[in-house]
Amino acid sequence: MGWLEYMIDNPGRLIGLGVEHATLALIAVAVSGVIGATVGVLTYRRPVAASIATAVAATMLTIPSFALFGLVLVWFGLGNTGVVVTLVVYALLPIVRNTITGLQEVDPAITESALGMGLSPRQVLLRVELPLAWPVIIAGLRVATMLVVSILAIGAYIGADGLGNEIFRALSNIGSVWAFDVAIAATVSIVIVAMVLEAFWVLVDRLTTPRGLRD
Amino acid sequence: MDAMIRLDALTKRYPGQEELAVDNVDMEILPGEIVVLVGPSGCGKTTTLKMINRIIEPTSGRIILEGEDVTDVNPDRLRRRIGYVIQQVGLFPHQTIASNVATVPKLLGWGKERITARVDELLEMVSLEPRIYRDRYPKELSGGQRQRVGVARAMAADPPVMLMDEPFGAIDPITRDRLQNEFLRLQEEIQKTIVFVTHDIDEAIKMGDRIAIFGDNHRIQQFATPEAILSQPANEFVDDFTGTGASLKRLNLVRVRDVDLGEWPTAISSVRREDALAQLDEVDQAFLLLVDSNRRPVRWVSRRDLSRADWNQHVGLPVRAQVPLNATLSDALDEMLTSSVGVAIVVDDGGAYRGIVDIDTVMTAVNTLRAETRERVAVAAWHAPAGAVEEGGA
Repeated sequence: MGWLEYMIDNPGRLIGLGVEHATLALIAVAVSGVIGATVGVLTYRRPVAASIATAVAATMLTIPSFALFGLVLVWFGLGNTGVVVTLVVYALLPIVRNTITGLQEVDPAITESALGMGLSPRQVLLRVELPLAWPVIIAGLRVATMLVVSILAIGAYIGADGLGNEIFRALSNIGSVWAFDVAIAATVSIVIVAMVLEAFWVLVDRLTTPRGLRD
Repeated sequence: MDAMIRLDALTKRYPGQEELAVDNVDMEILPGEIVVLVGPSGCGKTTTLKMINRIIEPTSGRIILEGEDVTDVNPDRLRRRIGYVIQQVGLFPHQTIASNVATVPKLLGWGKERITARVDELLEMVSLEPRIYRDRYPKELSGGQRQRVGVARAMAADPPVMLMDEPFGAIDPITRDRLQNEFLRLQEEIQKTIVFVTHDIDEAIKMGDRIAIFGDNHRIQQFATPEAILSQPANEFVDDFTGTGASLKRLNLVRVRDVDLGEWPTAISSVRREDALAQLDEVDQAFLLLVDSNRRPVRWVSRRDLSRADWNQHVGLPVRAQVPLNATLSDALDEMLTSSVGVAIVVDDGGAYRGIVDIDTVMTAVNTLRAETRERVAVAAWHAPAGAVEEGGA
């Protein structure tokens, strides 16, 4: 269990990298959330537009991350910016799809009664549809976060911060006594980051979902 | 009297469809009346209702509300003047009952205190104790309670007009009956102009001051009082639609409060049994009705019950068949048939005994009604042979 010893001996280093990792992942999800939710809100009432938005987001997810990293390297050079841009693209699918689904699944009777009382379509969206779709949108953000946390590890290849650096450091020293343990320790740390972020979303979900919607 | 709502050649054609969904509907709806739109599925009754608050925009024709042409005004502002209740209610699940009811007052920018006072007043009006229900969420309420909140929400800003689309359609028959009666009692106080859609002719007869029957051709076949529709159907379609058993249906037209109630011997439940027996002998009935100190019916006791050695406060039959004063004779007949004694007890709003309905009461009422209708129809036909009976006919 050399990797465990490595973790115990180097807590500061791993925690520092883990915080970087989590921060970059959340920044990417936040940006993607704003873009994805906007796309969802603009398309959910038009079935054709909604299908196109979902299909485009899905297609982007099929691009191998190495290929995309190569492309952004051309535009942004080495460093965090290019990696975050890539992560935003990957995170779009679950966010766009869940926003659209959440908004479309609002009971039409609720929207009709809201309109019937004289709420404008904009007020219906802000006061009724978005609050009701919120738990579904949060679920999308959770999935997006998991996706981003794992892809970010590879981002170290083009100069991103985070736990990926530890893995690449180990891989470039493969054959040495400690390389294998370091790689495992970094991987376990990534799993821990994922679990902490998952807990974060569970908490956000709890705190922001109105009582009337909880089971 | 000026019409509250006037529909002028209102027509709806959905894009890509040959047939009109609503074909040239003309209607005048007077202040304070309940007009029921009734007809088979797809006849255009709901579309017509939803064109009044422009949830569905008409293809052509005009909508006049309180003398003002509202066909082209801002729909959001128009809808705040019109209460709207639908079958699925559509309460906002993420908001408390109080917040749901306050929706329109909030839109209109009322002050906080005024809103709180109004919400409590409305909840009381629909028989939901504000202290208990104010802070609950819709999912914590039964279907009937949700529908009451829906009605309260629609009345929040005291709109002169209410549109109701099968409001009691998804509720079990017993609760539906009670909600109908409560709503009619409420209407006596609030005097709203109400347009009410149903596919149930019995509900139409019970609720409507006037009924508009829509046919398969998406036009109004007959627009008249329930009496006129039952006794003088304008055409074969109306006759078929109102169905057989028209005389039985007419029992839905008479309220218990409008007939001469029968009397029944009653005694306070703490009565001494000798006195009770003496009272029974005097009136020559098989049962005596015991009431509590507020004159609310409690139990039926027979001569045999009163003679039992173990006579106490609990001997006898519990009272089941009770109807309020605004119940219809049809409700009363229904209760009567389930009653062990063969009468329906009539109670007032406080639950106190007011009299009874038995089979003689029903027969007398039916005969009077028949005679009255015959007379009224004859008079109407004499004065206006070409239209009074079938206003807005086919």
